[in-house]
Amino acid sequence: MEENKKMCMALFSGSLDKLTGAGVVISGAAADDMDVEVFILLQAARSFKKEIGDNYEKLPMSENLDLKEDFIASLKQLNVSTWVEFFEMAKELTNVKIHVCSLAGKMWGGEKIDDFIDLVDDICGIGEYIDAAAEADIHLFI
Amino acid sequence: MTQEELNALEIAKSVDARGTACPGPLLEAKKAIGTINSGDIMEIMSADEGTKKDIPKWANKKGHEYLGTVEESGFFKIYMKKK
Repeated sequence: MEENKKMCMALFSGSLDKLTGAGVVISGAAADDMDVEVFILLQAARSFKKEIGDNYEKLPMSENLDLKEDFIASLKQLNVSTWVEFFEMAKELTNVKIHVCSLAGKMWGGEKIDDFIDLVDDICGIGEYIDAAAEADIHLFI
Repeated sequence: MTQEELNALEIAKSVDARGTACPGPLLEAKKAIGTINSGDIMEIMSADEGTKKDIPKWANKKGHEYLGTVEESGFFKIYMKKK
């Protein structure tokens, strides 16, 4: 059987808008049966903490900070899934692995996998990210 | 296939994805294709303009057969046959 294409994503941003975008991109890759590896770096690790997740009130915006309310209203009006739901759907559809960088986790008080939302598969070091990026057909830094 | 032929197809599965924006319809189609048998025909209803190109492309890439699209008022129906 032909090997699946691979996508590697470094998810640095923990903002509502970029997480939503990342969720859409990963879903698209999953619909295409790609193997996806996501590495949760610095700011993103905060949003993957159990107490944050898709609680929009606790998430910042990366751009147009004053338009957060409009952004959320548009998401709701268009019936767009939350970023966590996009990641969940992608995991249902294909092989998606979510790794939290150990340094990033520690920065936000997350040392164990249980400190993070259920999407997270493991906690890893930077070497694993570099290996995945080197092997990937598509590599994104968000 | 003509619009009449598409409308007359015997559908094994109909997916109403009119309530979602991109990538919702594609994800729903992907989920639904796993529930039907080889040779079955699936209909996807959508009102999302991006989906109109995405689903036929995806279907062909995955080896399914894209049969055609029927325009309705305010939405469209895409037909495909599972490989």
